[in-house]
Amino acid sequence: MKWTKADTTQYLPEKQYVDTLMIPLIPFDPAGDQQMVGQAFQRELNQVFMNFIEKEYKGRVFLSPDYTYLKGKHEHEKDRLNEWIQRFREQPFEHVFLFTFDSRWKKYEADVDGHLIWVPGMSSGSIKSTETQAFVKEQARGISELIQAYW
Amino acid sequence: MSDKKRVSRRQFLNYTLTGVGGFMAAGMLAPMVRFAIDPVLKSKEGGDLKSVASVDEITKEPQRFEWTIDQVDGWYESEVQKTAWVYKDDNDEIVALSPICTHLGCTVDWGSNDEYPNEFYCPCHGGRYTKDGDNVPGTPPTAPLPVFEHETKEGMLYLGEAKDRGGA
Repeated sequence: MKWTKADTTQYLPEKQYVDTLMIPLIPFDPAGDQQMVGQAFQRELNQVFMNFIEKEYKGRVFLSPDYTYLKGKHEHEKDRLNEWIQRFREQPFEHVFLFTFDSRWKKYEADVDGHLIWVPGMSSGSIKSTETQAFVKEQARGISELIQAYW
Repeated sequence: MSDKKRVSRRQFLNYTLTGVGGFMAAGMLAPMVRFAIDPVLKSKEGGDLKSVASVDEITKEPQRFEWTIDQVDGWYESEVQKTAWVYKDDNDEIVALSPICTHLGCTVDWGSNDEYPNEFYCPCHGGRYTKDGDNVPGTPPTAPLPVFEHETKEGMLYLGEAKDRGGA
């Protein structure tokens, strides 16, 4: 399920079956020229991952809108993120997964109210290359198994 | 000029009026007939079949095949990946099933659950389908898996759209 009109309409009467939430954590810093390309690529890659998992588990996983934040302010972001999670849990969502390529969240893992999945992303490459596709499929399968282990 | 061959004024007028009337009637009817049969002549959009796999690859055991189609969705066009479970049944007929669970749309897997090795299994809520795609009563899905239209040409399998088979 995605944050779209069609999916949310389907979600509401079937709430009892959809107990898992995925939030993509996407860092960005529009002021820096150097990191911009890399960050944009990570965002695209994150979306590919999320769409892959959402497609596989459409009936049980709800994909939250992207959690976008300015890079490097995790201390402050963790509270805002917890607020998001808390609001979602009111639905209720039993399992909350946070998906990111940003390794700095690892340090705050204990402070956030969800399972952090950190994957070392790819810093270069093309989203369309077969290499990237193989990487995504491989990793996404692993993540699917991880999610299933919690059910 | 004999009297027999002579066309009377009345006959001449009759002929001309029938002729002209016939033309007018035809002129009016032709477009109407065209309108009436238009739905039959119209080429179906998105209904064309796509080559998916070679027929030799298909076995008795369901296998997963993937292909892409161009989908026009409102104003935006995208490439969509489609998946099907394809196998040959006992009469050597090819069966292509959609992997989308009829419950809430997860992707089902063949034989992924050890307890039900010869069934399609949905990992989300334990929905099960027999090999021919019928939902197992007592599990969440209420309808069988949709079947793809298929065609074989020159040793290749072509798949079209998935057709719902209704629910009980």
